[in-house]
Amino acid sequence: MLTALASFALAALIAPTLTRWLGTRVFLLLALVPLGALAHAVWHAPTVLSGTAVVESYEWIPQLHLALNVRMDALSWIMCLVVLGVGALVLIYCTRYFSNDEPALGRFAGHFIAFAGTMYGLVVADDVFLLFMFWEATTIFSYLLIGHYTDRKSSRGAALQALLVTTAGGLAMLVGLVLLAVEAGTTSLAAILAEPQSGALVTTSVILILVGALSKSALVPFHFWLPAAMAAPTPVSAYLHAAAMVKAGIYLIAAMSPAFASTPGWRELLVCVGVLTMLVGGWRALRQQDLKLLLAYGTVSQLGFLTVIVGFGTRDAALAGIALLIAHALYKSTLFLVVGIIDHRTGTRDLRKLSGLGRASPALAIASTLAIASMIGLPPMFGFVAKEAVFTALLESETAIGMVGLIGVVAGSTLTVAYSARFLWGAFARKPAVTAVALHKEPADFLAAPALLSLAGLAFGIVAPTVGYWISGYSENFPAADGRDDYHLALWHGIEPALALSALTLVLGIVLFWKRSAVTSFQKRVPAVINSADGYWKVMRFIDRTAARVTSSTQRGSLPFYLGVILLVFVVAVGTTLVLNAQWPSDLVVWDYPAQLAIAIIMAVAALAAVRASKRFTAVVLVGVTGYGMAVLFALQGAPDLAFTQVLIETVALVAFVLVLRRLPQRIGVAHPRRRRSGLRIGLGVGVGLTMAFVAMISLGSRAHDPISRILADIAYEGGHGTNVVNVTLVDIRGWDTMGELSVIIVAATGVASMVFLDRRTDDLPRPQQLLGRRGFLLRQKPVTEPARPRGRQQSDDSAETRLSWLLAGRTLAPENRSILLEVTVRLLFHSFIVVSLFVLFNGHNGAGGGFAAGLLAGMALVARYLAGGRYELGAAVTIDAGKLLGTGLLLAVGTALVPLFFGANALTSTWAEGDVPLFGQVEFVTSTIFDVGVYLVVIGLVLDVLRSLGGEVDRQQEDEDPATPNEGLDERTRV
Amino acid sequence: MNALIPLVVMLPLLGAAAALIAGKRQRLQVIVTVIALVAVLAVSVVLLVEVDAVGPLIMEVGGWPAPFGIVLVVDRLSALMLVVSAVVLLAVLLFSVGQGMADGDSETPVSIYHPTYMVLAAGVFNAFIAGDLFNLYVGFEILLVASYVLITMGGTGPRIRAGVTYIVVSLISSMLFLASIAMIYGALGTVNMAQISVRMTEIDPSVQLILHVMLLIAFGIKAAVFPLSFWLPDSYPTAPAPVTAVFAGLLTKVGVYAIMRTETVLFAESDVNDALMVVAFLTMIVGILGAVAQADIKRLLSFTLISHIGYMIFGIAMGTVAGLGATIYYIVHHITVQTTLFLAAGLVERQAGSTSINRIGGLLKASPVIAVLFFVPALNLGGIPPFSGFIGKLGLFTAGAQQPSWLVYALIGAGALTSLLTLYALARVWNMAFWRPADEVEKYESPLLEELTEAPGENTDREMKNSPRLMIGVTAAMVVVSVALTVFAGPLYALSSRAGENLNGPENYVRLVFPEGVE
Repeated sequence: MLTALASFALAALIAPTLTRWLGTRVFLLLALVPLGALAHAVWHAPTVLSGTAVVESYEWIPQLHLALNVRMDALSWIMCLVVLGVGALVLIYCTRYFSNDEPALGRFAGHFIAFAGTMYGLVVADDVFLLFMFWEATTIFSYLLIGHYTDRKSSRGAALQALLVTTAGGLAMLVGLVLLAVEAGTTSLAAILAEPQSGALVTTSVILILVGALSKSALVPFHFWLPAAMAAPTPVSAYLHAAAMVKAGIYLIAAMSPAFASTPGWRELLVCVGVLTMLVGGWRALRQQDLKLLLAYGTVSQLGFLTVIVGFGTRDAALAGIALLIAHALYKSTLFLVVGIIDHRTGTRDLRKLSGLGRASPALAIASTLAIASMIGLPPMFGFVAKEAVFTALLESETAIGMVGLIGVVAGSTLTVAYSARFLWGAFARKPAVTAVALHKEPADFLAAPALLSLAGLAFGIVAPTVGYWISGYSENFPAADGRDDYHLALWHGIEPALALSALTLVLGIVLFWKRSAVTSFQKRVPAVINSADGYWKVMRFIDRTAARVTSSTQRGSLPFYLGVILLVFVVAVGTTLVLNAQWPSDLVVWDYPAQLAIAIIMAVAALAAVRASKRFTAVVLVGVTGYGMAVLFALQGAPDLAFTQVLIETVALVAFVLVLRRLPQRIGVAHPRRRRSGLRIGLGVGVGLTMAFVAMISLGSRAHDPISRILADIAYEGGHGTNVVNVTLVDIRGWDTMGELSVIIVAATGVASMVFLDRRTDDLPRPQQLLGRRGFLLRQKPVTEPARPRGRQQSDDSAETRLSWLLAGRTLAPENRSILLEVTVRLLFHSFIVVSLFVLFNGHNGAGGGFAAGLLAGMALVARYLAGGRYELGAAVTIDAGKLLGTGLLLAVGTALVPLFFGANALTSTWAEGDVPLFGQVEFVTSTIFDVGVYLVVIGLVLDVLRSLGGEVDRQQEDEDPATPNEGLDERTRV
Repeated sequence: MNALIPLVVMLPLLGAAAALIAGKRQRLQVIVTVIALVAVLAVSVVLLVEVDAVGPLIMEVGGWPAPFGIVLVVDRLSALMLVVSAVVLLAVLLFSVGQGMADGDSETPVSIYHPTYMVLAAGVFNAFIAGDLFNLYVGFEILLVASYVLITMGGTGPRIRAGVTYIVVSLISSMLFLASIAMIYGALGTVNMAQISVRMTEIDPSVQLILHVMLLIAFGIKAAVFPLSFWLPDSYPTAPAPVTAVFAGLLTKVGVYAIMRTETVLFAESDVNDALMVVAFLTMIVGILGAVAQADIKRLLSFTLISHIGYMIFGIAMGTVAGLGATIYYIVHHITVQTTLFLAAGLVERQAGSTSINRIGGLLKASPVIAVLFFVPALNLGGIPPFSGFIGKLGLFTAGAQQPSWLVYALIGAGALTSLLTLYALARVWNMAFWRPADEVEKYESPLLEELTEAPGENTDREMKNSPRLMIGVTAAMVVVSVALTVFAGPLYALSSRAGENLNGPENYVRLVFPEGVE
């Protein structure tokens, strides 16, 4: 069976390709797959019918007890025959139904054969979740097949509707299956059924499963999707929506019935829903003009009929139910296929336009008549046998619910007779008022499939006892009735009540048909009782509206709102835990020394003022104050390194801000929040602050252990060979963090470049003209000169009197932008800064400093060069691309981490060497210093990137926009 | 074997460094970064096999013993996350290479995108192996800063706007995370996760609860759980297609991963499961309602992303081995499928010039390949069997049914409803964008479209372009991977379950880092 399933899958995959080669003949080839599976089923018939199930199993996900377990018992076997037999015939029918130029034929063929496979899988699956998989897969293929005519809006809508309705039921069923499987401790359907559990949970889960079954089998209130699904090509209607898929629900009910029919609510639910569906379907079928829709409502009605009897849950009812299921599959697919032929031959399915078809194509009429005869229960058709059995089974139950069912199905059968007659009359009769339709010629073998199916209905009727024997393998799962022999299927049971009921339905039905005009006018006066299709749209609209409303109220597109929600959650959630807190610290140290309080107040005031500031620059400076305050706190706490670094960071940040601010309006555009709103914000801000303060108080107050930092200083000296514990922590003990933070810096630098240059990382800084031509070391050492007098007067004086420049690119600035004082200062300080930064870098391991601070110092030197000499000066100062600096820095850092791995040590393990170096004396070198050099380079790279983007590039953009600015294009002008 | 652990972070960083040094040589940058990620993938696979067969691995970086130095820990969960992230990161990188080759440098400029992307990868990997809470923070910081750059790449108006929302919210979350670390250090005097786990049990339960809730809020923002999730749909969809794909697939999952460690290691004794269940419920429902209301595919997918985070929180909140195992499987599934769908949406955008279902149609006819590449992961996300979305959901439901309570039942119901609505939203996309002929799009009227909202900002159609083979190929490969999650569901689910067992009780984790115990 698993092999058969695999062949279906394979066939589905190659079907599109095959179709390209074979055209419609591909269906003949594809039909071999279900035929093969059918042969397998027939081969195993003796085993299965003798009561032994054929089992195959393949382990899949043992943790979920999910296995590819398939099992063919009597019920599955019968379903296989139906699914595979009808499937093969419909495939053969497709050969003639479609023409080679049908669009998307390959896709159709693939979907159809895949559907047949999943349907087969559904009926043989033993694992309930495997069953569910096939169940949902049939839904998906049904979606794709109903929507086959993608250019028709109705097709698409119907497909979506069918998908959603059956999936909704399917998910209810999944929940039910999960609950049931967990309760039973197994996922095997056979095992669950063998030892049925009971209890409220089981009842709930069974009801949930039934919801799935009812939605799949199009029962009230889910029935509306089935008529809409008639938008599909007719073979699909015949197979999915008559013989196979809609039977899945019935199959599941039948499978569970032996074990769960006694579950409270089971019988009542199914009988009532079934009767209601049967009546609603039949009633609506009576007024359809489209033959296919008539059949569709007829199918709904019949599915209700099946539900009543299959769900009834006695031995005789089970026998009758399965017999009816077989009969229905045979006659209903015949009729659909016939409608397809009619549609092809006449171009219409409207029974008001058809006339004289019966005489023109007698074979078609005979096949239809046989099927109709079976449907309305005329002997010797199998439908008659089945209907007799149903009536008898309900009659003998002698319960109230049995009576409800009986009356319901008798009434329903009457309607069935009426609409069946209407079908026959509508399709084939000669109507005096209607001109006979013109007929297209169709090949004779088009009729093969429906003819075979209708003849099968006849044959089964004749060999009814044999069919009864097949079914008995299933029905005997039910307890035998007391004091009565089991019912058996036969054409003739003698004169008994069931026969009378059959006759009654026939007579009443014919009367209904005869008085059809009266019925029609009556129907027009009675509003549709149950119009679930409207219900569907109402539900969908409700979902859409709710979704739109919920989303627009939460998804405001407003950052302040989002932040407000987040902070509110913080205050409320953490606040609640604070209220619940049982352990408030007893001794509170308010401050270590009073200066802390003073600084805290300054910082707080600055922070508050920053929020209220109306000018950008003021705000930036005020934020800077909080930063410097932090530095002071660090210093007071005895952390000079941190304080030093903090000061440098604040300074560089301030410079960066100022560079950016040049391009921004001076004032912050405040959208004056309403007072209430602003009060809310103040409240929230205070709330966050207080919450955080209390958390800090409590958490620090509950410390029970010494922090690990107590020991860090010792191990830094012993293991890291450094007396500066901060530095050793940064580059060694927690060097891994630092390595990560380096990448953060690099990305930040890249981000700044990306925002300014937009699409490139590398952008060489411009270099002064004078330097560009110089190649070779010696030439580069030649001093740079500039005209002694300001540029403006140069043109009148060609003597070209020059003097040495203080800065390499000083002359590229307009005279009014230059400050000779600044140039001289920078000229004097730059190299000292660099040297100091190198000292700080190498001193860091034991004294104050380190790569970070050193990098910032060197960066400050670059800032000075840029401020004094502009972007050309910066270009002259650093001839290397910032990206390369960053990359090299990272490479050094990661390299330091990587190399020890080659020596079998852990990443980042440091080692050290000592020695006498001339001039320096005793020198100790720790490998983590290399790491620190990496840090140094990365920080310089960052500053450089900030300067060249926010400084140089923004200068250039500004000059582009405003040519009046004198710095612009000076090089070009001097060249003239 | 331990030596492999730090490589997963160092290799991408080396890639980034090399890409930066390579400067203008774009081909070289591309090659280097691809090689780095392939290498990480290989390393991760080896780690996974080793960890699963032999046992978890740790590395004390720099040879400094825990709790003083930083310890990196790879157990089954970490290794699995590494492998999945490496696959996704590599696929998206190749996708963007394909896009770059086709369109030039406009969307993912090589010299910015590649180094930043490598750093992002390093951050993600670092977060998954961190055994030190502060290092976890650093991991988050790396990936977040990289994501700031990626989300604003190109500097267009909408991206800057989206970027501001994203960056500010992320900064708040980072601040809360950092403050939480400070408080935890204040209370316990350590940042080593295993040691936190031990010491945490010694302080008053009510203090534990305070710290616990605070940390969860920080992670909740990153993981995008309701009501901390509003920022996500306003920021992710505006980024370039590959960036959105990798963000959606990975970044929120890092948050979920952190929550998982929080619940199982850091605060194993502090129980907020009922609260988490409520949050999971709301996340699922509100999230999926958001998806139902969207016309724009990318925005719709962002909402499904949030909604399905709810499933994971549900699994974590159950706190059982079965629940954790199912969650791990679900995370693997969701990373793969969500990324794939965003890549497919990227292809749709190129093909149709827009991702709003109000304006596109006829895609099935125009490009059957893209149709398949969208349909399969869409079904998968909708939880249709036999795809992995179904298996994960089944695992979660089963785990829930094994420890019944009203809350669990409510969540199972919400999970089923979410699944249905996901399918609805995606099937509607299919109906409109793929089935509906292109010539019907103008003035189309359908009740299905009435309540939909467009993505904010100007919605001009983009230029329609063909997709190069590499982009289609990569997306197809991801679809294959997502289907493989079903085909190999047996071993994979078994692995997830074993990973879940590792998380059962913090003792496993503690013993790993401190074989001789710690106080």
